[in-house]
Amino acid sequence: MVKLLVCDSVTKKFGGIVALDKVSLEVSKGELLGLIGPNGSGKTTLVNVISGVITPDEGRIVFEGKDITRLKPHRRVALGISRIFQGMRVYPYLPVYYNVSLSARSVYKDARLARAKTTWALTITRLLAEAGELPINLTPYKLRMVELARALVTGPKLVLLDEPFAGLSPSEIDEVIEIVKKLNENGLAFIIVEHKLRYLMKLVNRVVVLNEGKKIFEGKPDEAVSNEEIARVYLGVL
Amino acid sequence: MSRLAFSKPSKLKRVGSILPALFIAAIYMLLPTFGLRGFWLDVLTRVNIFLLITLSLDLYSGTTFYLNLGVPFTVGCAAYSLALLNRYLGVPVEYAILPSAAISLVLSLVIFLPSLRVRGAYFSIMSLLLPIVMAGIVTSQPFSLYLGGEGGITYSPLFFSYARGLPVKERAFFLQSTYFYISSIAAIIAFIVSYKVAYSDFGFMMRSVGQDELLAEASGVNTVRVKLVGFLISSSLASLAGSIYAAMRPPVTVDVFIPANTLVPPLTAVILGGMGTIVGPTIANYFILLVYEALWDVIGRWRVVLYMCLLIVLVLLRPQGIVYYLYTKLKRLVSSKIAELTAGV
Amino acid sequence: MEELKYILIFGSFHSLTYLVFSLGFSLVFGVARLPNLTYGALYVLTGYSTYVFLNYLNTPLYLAVPVSILLTAAISLAIGESVIKPAIKFPVSVFITTVAVAYIFEELFSIQMGLKPVTLPLYPGTTSILGIPVSNHWLLITAVCLAMTLALLAFLYKTSTGKAIRAVAESWEESMRLGINPLRVLRATFLISGVYAALTGILLAPLKALTPTAGWSPLFAAFAIVVMGGIGNILGTVVASLVYGFIEQSMVYVLGGGIARVAPLILILLILVFRPHGLFGRGE
Repeated sequence: MVKLLVCDSVTKKFGGIVALDKVSLEVSKGELLGLIGPNGSGKTTLVNVISGVITPDEGRIVFEGKDITRLKPHRRVALGISRIFQGMRVYPYLPVYYNVSLSARSVYKDARLARAKTTWALTITRLLAEAGELPINLTPYKLRMVELARALVTGPKLVLLDEPFAGLSPSEIDEVIEIVKKLNENGLAFIIVEHKLRYLMKLVNRVVVLNEGKKIFEGKPDEAVSNEEIARVYLGVL
Repeated sequence: MSRLAFSKPSKLKRVGSILPALFIAAIYMLLPTFGLRGFWLDVLTRVNIFLLITLSLDLYSGTTFYLNLGVPFTVGCAAYSLALLNRYLGVPVEYAILPSAAISLVLSLVIFLPSLRVRGAYFSIMSLLLPIVMAGIVTSQPFSLYLGGEGGITYSPLFFSYARGLPVKERAFFLQSTYFYISSIAAIIAFIVSYKVAYSDFGFMMRSVGQDELLAEASGVNTVRVKLVGFLISSSLASLAGSIYAAMRPPVTVDVFIPANTLVPPLTAVILGGMGTIVGPTIANYFILLVYEALWDVIGRWRVVLYMCLLIVLVLLRPQGIVYYLYTKLKRLVSSKIAELTAGV
Repeated sequence: MEELKYILIFGSFHSLTYLVFSLGFSLVFGVARLPNLTYGALYVLTGYSTYVFLNYLNTPLYLAVPVSILLTAAISLAIGESVIKPAIKFPVSVFITTVAVAYIFEELFSIQMGLKPVTLPLYPGTTSILGIPVSNHWLLITAVCLAMTLALLAFLYKTSTGKAIRAVAESWEESMRLGINPLRVLRATFLISGVYAALTGILLAPLKALTPTAGWSPLFAAFAIVVMGGIGNILGTVVASLVYGFIEQSMVYVLGGGIARVAPLILILLILVFRPHGLFGRGE
């Protein structure tokens, strides 16, 4: 199988705290990977390292056979790694259209292509009607869609979702899941960080469990559910 | 898409707002032929040139929210470059305007480059520091020997050699009105360029940097490049302002580096006008600077205190400014009136 | 050789005063995450207010100094509460308001006191160190500065307010989870940093000419030192103060006072070029 992303014993320290301790991870083309673990286990740090927001102290990150460990975030976006942040993170004073189109314009040199891609992304996320709205007038669900549209507009091969279900109602979560599934059928790979395991386990093909910066489990979702160590780490959650 | 806050207006609407603007510009340019002379013509020339500084500040700081307090540095370097080119290389000021602006642009870029690469307070601190350092340098040994010290550097101003050929009575008005026309054209061009840039895709990228730089970077925007190019365009306006102003008003003295002269009025105009809106600060520029000039006779140096108090109150109570808000209100009112009138026809 | 001695002696003295001045600056910087651009104006303000008390109101020195310090601390608190705290979420607003306050002070000083340098009384006498005559005032400064450094350390590590300041400087979110109110802590830092600016202002005014613009240079020095040393890193700040003090004094004695003005600029540029990341000591 073709490896899309390889993280090779990635380590990151903040002051005295080891946020990531020799974490290795592989993602194949078109895979749906769940990344779980308790608070402070290093999930978001790992997402930050993969998207280039922070550089690891040790280890390598390889995307489609290319070493991207020291690459700037915007170059990774151009290569095909998109992400959304924890919480609803949008440009507060720019209309939805520009929230999405600026990323497209940065990646595609052709303005017309960028505009077409923006329209496409707004269509799949059902945002066309709100294109002129400011984020302040949108519901959390629509804001999540803006983030998703911005992640998709650059034509990614891998999308990192950091807590995509947080703050959404069950029916809204189902809609997000549906969109993710549809995109995945077209060959898009996802890494999903999520606390709402009930929804996540149904969605992903494989889960990786982090605890205190270390990878403690990797395998099928149903194996994870029956694993004792994970149950101990997640005491009361599962 | 009707509520798009920064959308480009439709063609018809654009014509509707360009025509009145052209009309105002034409009337404005004709002021000398209508009989405006003397002090206030000089003041308007000054205000025209200050528009370049205001727009420079608005175009960069108003969109990226990186406060550039170093505008006096760029303006001053351009002015001193012009004077030095004239004094040591004998370049007439007519030919020294563009080279001196280019020198200042390069200087600004080189010295600000390291702080443009990173996020955070560095840029503003650097920008605050530079004019103060320059003011110290030009007045202290050994630099003051070459830079004219307190008295500055003097030379014959723009078109002076030509004006000498004219009858004595016409000389002053010839220079005054010529300077006024030049400065007005520079102001109009600067406005058009700033408007085009601020509302282009690139302009919106600058705004994205201002609103969430980390998000912009992580979603594909090359933030360093955006800041660099934005700074370049903005600083070229400030450099041109410095060169043109120096060419018209010798001598060049340390005053150009003093914030009370070259930073306080433009900064107040940007905040009062509405950051990043270009139109607001442009209107505010004329208002703020004319009042600033008039206040000199009334309260002298206290005008700086007054403006700074105004600035603080505005920033705390109405950070989005006032003028642009009034301008959009007025425009809406006018267009609804027109709609009302044409509906009956 | 003679110059080397001067650099050694006065470099040490200056480093110590920069250390104290920077420590006060780093309190607000650490908690608010933004440089307080009025800090230099507070330094000048204390000098002028002491001068006014002594020469216009004929107040005795032992009364004028504490009253000026208290006055500056109160003004520092007022500035912080009125123009920094309300805008704390918008860095650009804080930059504008604080620089505006600094310009207001600068204009007020130059309107009321003029541009001519003003001095305060010097502690009399000289002592010879390594054969170089040194004003006893420097020895007074050394004593006070050492005491103030130790006092701040004791405050930060032993008192509950001090511990709260350190916690907030480390992380706003974490400290809020521990039940600390960051805005209350911020108020404390305004007050204490006011005292530190005031004391250095009074101590240095007799040696450096006091002018309306005299506060900028120490402000930039403090910024450079705090950034170089790392916010909340006391040892780093000590080292950075030494580096800065010696660089500046070397420039003064080798190249002359005029060029020494660019010392803070050079230092900030060096930091930016060689160590721009990680200077704030925090990850994303």
